[in-house]
Amino acid sequence: MKAEDVQGGTRARMRTELLVSLGILAAVALLPAIVANEYWRGVFIVSMYFAMLAAAWNLLAGYTGQLSLAPAAFGMIGGYVTGLLSYHYNAPPMVGIPAAIVVSGLIGFVLGRIVLRLRGPYLALTTLSFAEIVRLIISNSIEITRGDLGLNVPGIFDHRLAYYYAMLAVLLAVQLGLYFLLRTPAGLYLRAIRDDEIAAASRGVKIVLWKTNAFTLSAAISGLAGALYGHFAQFVSPELGLISQTGIIISMVVIGGLGTLPGPIGAAFLVYIASEFLRGFGGYQLIVFALLVIIFSRFFREGLWGLLRRAFERARARPATAQAAE
Amino acid sequence: MPCLLIDRVSKSFGGIKALDRTSFTVDAGELVGLIGPNGSGKTTLINILSGYLAADAGRVDLDGRPTGGLRPETLAALGVQRTFQLTRSFPRMSTLDNLLVAGSALGLSQEAAETRALELLEDLALVRLMHLDAGHLSGGQLKLLEFGACFMVPPRIALLDEPFAAVHPTMKEIMAGFIRRRHAAGQTFILVSHDMPVIVELCPRTICMNAGAVIADENTRAVLTDPVVIEAYLGEAAA
Ligand SMILES: Nc1ncnc2c1ncn2[C@@H]1O[C@H](COP(=O)(O)OP(=O)(O)OP(=O)(O)O)[C@@H](O)[C@H]1O
Ligand SMILES: [Mg+2]
Repeated sequence: MKAEDVQGGTRARMRTELLVSLGILAAVALLPAIVANEYWRGVFIVSMYFAMLAAAWNLLAGYTGQLSLAPAAFGMIGGYVTGLLSYHYNAPPMVGIPAAIVVSGLIGFVLGRIVLRLRGPYLALTTLSFAEIVRLIISNSIEITRGDLGLNVPGIFDHRLAYYYAMLAVLLAVQLGLYFLLRTPAGLYLRAIRDDEIAAASRGVKIVLWKTNAFTLSAAISGLAGALYGHFAQFVSPELGLISQTGIIISMVVIGGLGTLPGPIGAAFLVYIASEFLRGFGGYQLIVFALLVIIFSRFFREGLWGLLRRAFERARARPATAQAAE
Repeated sequence: MPCLLIDRVSKSFGGIKALDRTSFTVDAGELVGLIGPNGSGKTTLINILSGYLAADAGRVDLDGRPTGGLRPETLAALGVQRTFQLTRSFPRMSTLDNLLVAGSALGLSQEAAETRALELLEDLALVRLMHLDAGHLSGGQLKLLEFGACFMVPPRIALLDEPFAAVHPTMKEIMAGFIRRRHAAGQTFILVSHDMPVIVELCPRTICMNAGAVIADENTRAVLTDPVVIEAYLGEAAA
């Protein structure tokens, strides 16, 4: 009886979250069968780029409580690492992509160290400054990066579908990786740090180590996403690191559900596809998402995933109470 | 060699001397009561012992090893476990996970941590709340949970800061019984409390602080009848 008791709760919840994530990714895998339009397939690929960034930011903000405003900057860094390596040294993607992961991870590690003792608005502002500095460095180092003109990046595949399934495979790997990470004690430590850093330290959680790990891993995943995006779009520019991009990533995570597995990736698709539809209306898309973020953080803190989960639970509870009443 | 040696530890906040050359030792297996009027420096001392504050002067040795400069997580790993006067927990994690954090961080395997957590939940009458987020627990239940977290791995020394505040008498009895049993099994404690009957019942030895200094340190009954101690408490009442 006891073993089952322990199995319930958090672990059961995480398993459900994993299954729903896999369901979302399965649906994404089937999407090209329905949508033959190349343009829309491209939209889905970019959605997957954002889904990776959202998952990475969720690890840092949702699970570890570190509200960094630099996720887009790490995507940009990843894109530029592989882009610059190929532009200057003809390095193939096989070299560029791993390099993007490592360099982004290292920069994430350093940023994590710098902001180690900062909380709340100070953390947000420092990471924001960091993001802007990196973007300005890239856009002003014209001899190296061609500045705002952007950089052409070689493609990897001949067909869009190949990119599509490569992105999907990586997104699946990221999602599975996060699931298995969060199931280990690391998941406990990160959430403990999020909830109360002082209490976590008093229980023996190595605060410095785990915060830095979260920053490093989140940055590495973002760098990977950016590198893949660069090869798909065959172009990177400082616009990848704009704060508005970070805004989109945050809105995806908040709308989907901070600190949940399926929420951010599901919402990445919803938000990015919606933004495609809203594109015709000019700059209103960002306002819509900003409003949604406010509404969700005020009224639905667990996001769409929280709403769904509660709806499931109510549906499951209803037959049970009906039986009990009989 | 004493388990804990506190040697002329001082700490000021601005003009306030919270600790003024506080000294005492605790031997392994002792259960020492720590009392004193409000603001006498008890919590400040616990904060220094557990690494949350650095002393301005003086030294603290744990098993003969100086602990100055060590981080709270390092001290926790060395076996200094504490509770907070203002209870701390992980509100968005389940009651069970709150305990598992401590178990895993101190090196228990996942299985061992679960077994241990279930025992503690059982002992502290929290079993039926184990999947509830700690943020939904009542004030007293949180006290019990934090108390339990200290004992996921038997600590070298447990520093309990007002563990009974806001706890129902029945649960208080359960906690007192828990402490008594652990003490009998050799566990070392410092127990901060304003609850004199519990101190009398549990602690063979009591230390009384006033204005950051130790004013009495002997067997509990003697301390509680010491005119200096009575004066300290009366002084507070008069002020
Ligand atoms: N972080 C701090 N900053 C400034 N002053 C502090 C700080 N912590 C404690 N003090 C002061 O130090 C003195 C001792 O406080 P402390 O909390 O140690 O007392 P205490 O014995 O635990 O009291 P109580 O029984 O009320 O819990 C008080 O005057 C308090 O105002
Ligand atoms: Mg106190």
